[in-house]
Amino acid sequence: MMQPKPPYRLHVALVFVAASVAIGCGKTPPASFRLNMVHATKTATPESGLEKPWATWAGNRQQQVATILEAMFGTPDSPVVLPETGLDAAKLQLAAGPVRSDIVGRKNGLYREHCGHCHGISGDGMGPTAAFLNPYPRDYRPGKFKFKSTWRDGKPTHDDLVHLLRQGVAGTSMPSFALLPPAQIDALAEYVRYLSLRGETELALFAYAEQELAGDEQLPTTKEFLVDEMLAPIVEKWQAANEGQIPIAAVPAGVDFSLPANDFANRESVARGKVLFHGDGGCVKCHGVTALGDGQANDYDDWNKTVVAMSGEVADGLQAAHAVSTGDLSPEKLADYRARSEWLHAFADVIEGDALRPRTIPPRNLRLGVYRGGRRPLDIYRRLYTGINGAPMPGIGPSGPGGKGSVADAEIWHIVNYVRSLPYEFDGELGADRPMVAKDRF
Amino acid sequence: MMTCCNPPWAIVLCFAALVMGCGPQRVAAPVADVAAAKAIREGLVTSVAAVAGAGEAAVAGTGWASLKGRFVFAGDPGQPRPLAADKDTEVCGKSEKLFDRSLRVDTSSKGLADVVVFVRKSSRVKSPATDAALVFDQKNCEFLAPVFAARVGQPVEVRNSDPVGHNTNIDGASFNQLIPSGQATTYTPDVDMGTPKAVTCNIHPWMKAFVIFRKDGYVAVSSIDGSFAIADLPAGEPLEFQVWHARATGGGGGLVLERPDLKWSPKGRFQLTLQADEVKDLGTLEVPSGGLGT
Repeated sequence: MMQPKPPYRLHVALVFVAASVAIGCGKTPPASFRLNMVHATKTATPESGLEKPWATWAGNRQQQVATILEAMFGTPDSPVVLPETGLDAAKLQLAAGPVRSDIVGRKNGLYREHCGHCHGISGDGMGPTAAFLNPYPRDYRPGKFKFKSTWRDGKPTHDDLVHLLRQGVAGTSMPSFALLPPAQIDALAEYVRYLSLRGETELALFAYAEQELAGDEQLPTTKEFLVDEMLAPIVEKWQAANEGQIPIAAVPAGVDFSLPANDFANRESVARGKVLFHGDGGCVKCHGVTALGDGQANDYDDWNKTVVAMSGEVADGLQAAHAVSTGDLSPEKLADYRARSEWLHAFADVIEGDALRPRTIPPRNLRLGVYRGGRRPLDIYRRLYTGINGAPMPGIGPSGPGGKGSVADAEIWHIVNYVRSLPYEFDGELGADRPMVAKDRF
Repeated sequence: MMTCCNPPWAIVLCFAALVMGCGPQRVAAPVADVAAAKAIREGLVTSVAAVAGAGEAAVAGTGWASLKGRFVFAGDPGQPRPLAADKDTEVCGKSEKLFDRSLRVDTSSKGLADVVVFVRKSSRVKSPATDAALVFDQKNCEFLAPVFAARVGQPVEVRNSDPVGHNTNIDGASFNQLIPSGQATTYTPDVDMGTPKAVTCNIHPWMKAFVIFRKDGYVAVSSIDGSFAIADLPAGEPLEFQVWHARATGGGGGLVLERPDLKWSPKGRFQLTLQADEVKDLGTLEVPSGGLGT
């Protein structure tokens, strides 16, 4: 007698059980740093007379850079600290690797716990959540930072990074980590420095390869080259940060930051600041006469601008390539043409898949009272003095020690005062018949 | 009964979704060769004293020489693209219409302007940088010099001759300063640039020029008739010259010429060793039409 057929559902369940047994729950592969593919491809313009296909030639070079970087900096799970980097290995150890507790119960893997999902394992600002955030998370690899106490292209000091981690960045997705113990914040700041040093070394290696290597030549792997020539100049800039802080002028008479900007005691300072805002400060050019940030809205910051420029370059290159009639080319020229087309197509793919879609950077709406780099008068002073590194915002202070600014140092405090007053300003200019409050500005 | 709703279809769809996964498609990136990385690291952590006398042998040379030549463009430059000057229109492009200046060719002489020629590495210089300031001016919402060269340490007066404010943003240098109308500030370059870098004004986004600062000052920009000259070059040592143009299709902006006699490289470079007091004339340097993207 035939057995009754098992119900259909049982079949399905069996298939799923079998499948999960087959897939298993083994270890995920160890985390690895990802090459800066945009820059790796940008610097791999094919030379004429390449013997190998372009992809093989460029791939070899890229692999060599990846190998050198691993030699110098290790992997996300086990960072290597060369003494020349000046990095603190113990701090990095706390921040690196997967989230776990060590033998005494101390939390490890802080970067991946708190930062990696936005800033990415490699610090490329392309973690899983990055594409959904506006503004995008910072890409540490070019070593450019916005909110700091140093001259425009100076590196942030350790304290600058710690301060930013504690405060967060108002008006963005970057939260405050003030609830973490100071030792953990310290470790994270050190890890950001590590990722930057690594990213900048990577850029330097690709730039060197583009400039100095021909054909199949390999990058030197000596200590003299990698440490003295490539790494040392970058480390030097980071170590000079503490000496590269901008001077802070004494606050002039008639400016009282302990009182609101629209207090009677500050009226003359605010009036002077307003004149500068509309005059020599040049603020209105981008922030607009109304200070709503509507003066100039179609510019990009340096991170996005690189991508915009490269997409333009690739589009032009492909257009020019399509216009060539390949039948007229000699065999050598045809090979060059093919290598160039291959490069341009690879470049287009990399821009599409390895960079976030560029976004414009609108000037800040100063009526909102939200200041990304901090709301203290000192923070606003620093933003005005050097401008914002990496953003279009120019400085109105001198460009370096001993230089001449567009506005005298002490006068900058009046603009600070005026900017502080903007969320509350009422002088009829906006056509409103009631005092301005921030929520009306949306 | 609709076939699309049969359970097997649903399973196929689920399976397809699993296989396809979610998330952006990132291109494959080469990964490190772990064994090779370990070997390199060993060389980095074991400090080996540099062998005395290693490195490049010092080239002894005396005297000075100069180099000149003239670039001509063999192709058709076409018409320059008009720029959309849509800010401060009461000033910008008012006195003269603005055009893209990335390819300037003299119609009569075919001379190619704005080609940068510089020495990549030199052992000595005749005199230190002068204190006399060069002027980098902007007027009619345009940088007056499309390509500007200066020596590191030589002051540059960044001027704004327009009745509107500009900011001068030099890529790769620590300089992005607002210059109020009719004013100027002095910037002393301190970075040795490997290639010319863009200068822009963020207030007027169409404004663009290039600058190059070189430590040894051995740099020239071809004038409107295509001619250039570099004086006081160190004689008796092999010098490698880099040739650059904003529209060059070689890597890093290198301008590639078909000049086997000068061993012109695919990176847009040639080598020369000059004799003392020699005035080397390269004659007419013809840029093929494919050498510049249009």
